[in-house]
Amino acid sequence: MLTNLLIFLPLIGALVVWAAPLSRGETAALAVLVALSEVAIWVVALVGFDFGSASLQDSAQREWFGDLGVTYHVGFYGFSLWLAGLTVVLGAAAIGFGAWVGRDRARAYFGLMLFLIGAVVGVFASQDLLVFYVFFEAMLIPIYVLVGVWGGPNRITATVTFVIYTMVGSLLMLASIVVFGLSQGTFSLIDSGTSGNEWVFLGFMIAFAVKAPLLPFHGWLRTAYTEAPPEVAALLSGVVSKAAVFGLVWIVLPHFPGPVDSWRTVVLVLAAAGLVYGSLLAFRQPDIRGVVAYSSMGQMSLIVLGIFAANDLGLDGAILHSVSHGLVSAAMFLLAGMLIHRTGTDRFADLGGLAKGRPALATVVMVVGMLTLAVPGSANFAGEFAILAGVFTQGWGYAAVGAVAIVLAAMYTLRLISAVLHRARGEAVREESRDLRLLELALVVPLVAILLALSVWPTAISGHSPGLPTQGSSEATP
Amino acid sequence: MIAGAWLCLLAPLAGALLITLAGTHLSRAAAGWISTLSVFVGFAGALVAFLQVAGESADERSHTSTAYTWLAAGKFQVAMQILVDPVSLTMMLIITGVGGLIVWYSMGYMKGEDEERRYFAYMALFVFSMLMLVMGGNLLLLLVGWGLVGLASYLLIGFYHDRPEAIAAAKKAFLMNAIGDAAMALGFFLLIAKTGSLDFSTAFDAASSGQLSPNTANLVALGLLGGAVAKSAQLPLHTWLPDAMEGPTPVSALIHAATMVTAGVYLIVRTHAIFEAAPNVQHLSAIIGGVTIVVAGLIALVQWDIKRVIAYSTMSQIGYMFLAAGIGAYGYAMFHLLTHAFFKALLFLAAGVIIHHLAGEQDVRKMGGLRKVMPYTHAVFLVGALALAGIPPLSGFWSKDGIIASALAEGGVLGYTLLVLGLLGGFLTGAYTFRLYYLVFHGEPSELVLEHAGGHMHEAERAHGHGEHAHGEGPLSMLAPVGVLAVLAAIGGLIVIPGLWEPFLTWIDGVAEPLVTASVTQDYATSAAAVALAGIGIWLARWAFVAGRELVPASALRTVFEHKFYFDEIYDALFSRPAQLVANRLRDDVEVPVVQRSLGEIGTGVKEAAGGTARLQSGLLRSYALVIAGSVFVLMVVFVAVR
Repeated sequence: MLTNLLIFLPLIGALVVWAAPLSRGETAALAVLVALSEVAIWVVALVGFDFGSASLQDSAQREWFGDLGVTYHVGFYGFSLWLAGLTVVLGAAAIGFGAWVGRDRARAYFGLMLFLIGAVVGVFASQDLLVFYVFFEAMLIPIYVLVGVWGGPNRITATVTFVIYTMVGSLLMLASIVVFGLSQGTFSLIDSGTSGNEWVFLGFMIAFAVKAPLLPFHGWLRTAYTEAPPEVAALLSGVVSKAAVFGLVWIVLPHFPGPVDSWRTVVLVLAAAGLVYGSLLAFRQPDIRGVVAYSSMGQMSLIVLGIFAANDLGLDGAILHSVSHGLVSAAMFLLAGMLIHRTGTDRFADLGGLAKGRPALATVVMVVGMLTLAVPGSANFAGEFAILAGVFTQGWGYAAVGAVAIVLAAMYTLRLISAVLHRARGEAVREESRDLRLLELALVVPLVAILLALSVWPTAISGHSPGLPTQGSSEATP
Repeated sequence: MIAGAWLCLLAPLAGALLITLAGTHLSRAAAGWISTLSVFVGFAGALVAFLQVAGESADERSHTSTAYTWLAAGKFQVAMQILVDPVSLTMMLIITGVGGLIVWYSMGYMKGEDEERRYFAYMALFVFSMLMLVMGGNLLLLLVGWGLVGLASYLLIGFYHDRPEAIAAAKKAFLMNAIGDAAMALGFFLLIAKTGSLDFSTAFDAASSGQLSPNTANLVALGLLGGAVAKSAQLPLHTWLPDAMEGPTPVSALIHAATMVTAGVYLIVRTHAIFEAAPNVQHLSAIIGGVTIVVAGLIALVQWDIKRVIAYSTMSQIGYMFLAAGIGAYGYAMFHLLTHAFFKALLFLAAGVIIHHLAGEQDVRKMGGLRKVMPYTHAVFLVGALALAGIPPLSGFWSKDGIIASALAEGGVLGYTLLVLGLLGGFLTGAYTFRLYYLVFHGEPSELVLEHAGGHMHEAERAHGHGEHAHGEGPLSMLAPVGVLAVLAAIGGLIVIPGLWEPFLTWIDGVAEPLVTASVTQDYATSAAAVALAGIGIWLARWAFVAGRELVPASALRTVFEHKFYFDEIYDALFSRPAQLVANRLRDDVEVPVVQRSLGEIGTGVKEAAGGTARLQSGLLRSYALVIAGSVFVLMVVFVAVR
């Protein structure tokens, strides 16, 4: 019941916003209300959740195409509950940001945002491949429109590139789903067995590699993240990319143990390369969103390293890092949006000196920056550490590459912090450019507060993700 | 006892949070008081814990207190726990005691500074982080503290954030330390792979029982040494420390002299079991220390900035501690750490009084004759200088001498080499310290000194922020802590008198049994040699000053010293430039032309094919329809293929 509510409340909210002739203010208020209710519902689900149990909880099931073995089946495991929580929290922050900026064509905009949130929650709750596919596609459509209509000057190119990439991925995935489901006789993720078919495996892998993105499937990343409105970019990097995590953890790992083992080295090498590649490019970007975009690519590669580490240490770390990366990259995109709102730009050349006389802004940017570079003691550090310690057993080289990436992350983040906050005042910064105001703080500070709480107790997530596929069989792989 | 320790750890954190959250609701003075008091409350807690532990028998002095499981992932677990034993207690007392004095001093030094509250929040954050480092009850928490002190150091070096040099120095310090952190993390990954845990006891038992292969022990120890060398500014990862002098002077005293930079020594002593399982790596740390003593001492001879001279001296003195830890004289390593905290903090703070008095001037060529104008500062500085030079009976004599004697006792090629380096270092210390002393305090008062003798406001003063001048040499909040440190620097060494009275060594020995112990004869022999050499150094400095000459005459050698042995230039050519080059090439030759442009072309092609170049929605819909049609086609193919 709770799961259905969590999925369908925003979808219904979207329909209401589209259909009802509300004013712009009323629309925004309704959307914010729905988004906050989502958070409340999720908290109720969290409180009632039994982390001692490794079985599906809050599940709902209904016959769909019985003769094909398709059922509407949703529910949560420990790890997917955390991903859903990430979604509703970032969803609320993003919708709040949209309301604060006052996006035009409000009914269309807020409807799409709500729709997006419902679809992403649906992705994380899916226990049937076709249900997963439907939500996965439903998640992409609002993104196309949000980027294409409310995006920056190059939004068309960004959208078209994004559509091409995701469509190719989706088609391959659909083909894989159909083949896998028909050969298993069921589309259920819980009832179906394992498959050794490498082509089917690759279909899934490429779809998720595009979504993450992994090298070399990241061509859409730069334009999509910078042309999208900042709050949409926050959702893209924060939660939409995590659909890949869910797919890898819950579809690929348990159902394709053979191909996972034989392709493990390829995936790990690509992920390690993507980690360094993304971090190096982040170091040479001229604007905040460029840095966060490539940094996200690096961090998602790191998460994939953890998922393919073939042990629980890396996998738990990957789930923890998914949540903390989602929070921190979204916070950074929202901050970029707030700076753009003040100065009209997020290019480093035009910024600078914002720390002087703006203590709240300086503090928030500094804290978010330090979380981005995973300063020891932060939740991001805990996740990164667990991932690298986990993948060390697959080869010390991966961990060594990860250690290099730690230094690179410090390089690009410190560059970002200094360019925004320090030195002389930049050209785009006016003396009267204000400090963060209460409304803006209300959007970012909760994300930071959650991250700090997780830093005090990262076990909340890493030690409370039961139901993850066991990896005992492949533990011995050298 | 445990409650006192937890109080010690958490009080400064509470102080930092309070100042941050209260923001501008708090007056500037209140922020200073909260920060100072929170550190002194920590000191009280540490003192309570110390008195209780000191009362216990020697083999029951190690206590671990666990709060909860900090990180659990897979089968790996790390607890939020603290370890209270003689080594951590010594560090706690230094950090909160000397730290409290320095934060107190800051209230005078930073008065009128633009962002005072931020400063005091950072200082409290630093003290908390440093305590976390030394109290952390397992290797991961040690690494957490290790990283957090790096963060606090970054924030404080870059405190004057509108100065590009300060920001560059802050970034450099953070990056160098990130390299060290990464090395340590790699060592820890290996340890986890071999033992499944980062608990002290597991790791040390595995090391001392021979469960770790020699190869593994070497690699883990190398990782630890990498972190230690970066944090303690030893060769070759030292270049950040002189630049770090861009931070406010009390910061240099606390972080870059008394506490954080000595963390590497603490690390080696704490993990001595691992180093003892890897004797080659342990000896390497002794050699690194010995070479750093001399190289830093030589560079200090030609510096003109009062703070940089003291900074190079810090590097050099930490070299002694590394030397001691590297040959297993753990008690003397910790002892020198303690006395160095007293006299080096004293020297920095006294320099701060001068800088404050002279409105931010740090160039010794513009000073001179300050003895008459600032008699109090002169007296305390002289105590610090003599202690640093190792003149009996001041504190530095007892600790430094013990280290040199241990090198003699170690013997062999290694021991004698270290002995020579240590003695040479003693000579250099006397020379550079008193070169500085004479330049600053003797001779005729310079123009700048005369100008400030009346205590009137100067143009540069407002620019630098030291707005308010107290009467005399400075405000009481600055002079009082300096006085306390002068007393400690003078008598603080009397807790180890070889052969007669060695309570401090016994205290540390309970945690880290020494591998080498000098005989009393060896002690007296090296004492005589070291004091004589230091005396020659001092005499040379005086002779050069009176003769109006430089200690190192202009020559190729002097150029090498002035360029600090070209480390910055070499790193620039070896690492910075190549990294930037690779990143730029990746961006300009791979990412943009291959990944992005080719895609842009595809995108344009599709748009044109869909016929909607102008109107977005229709164009989008059409391309979407195209794709859907394509997908149906693929599906049909798949269905046919499966049947």
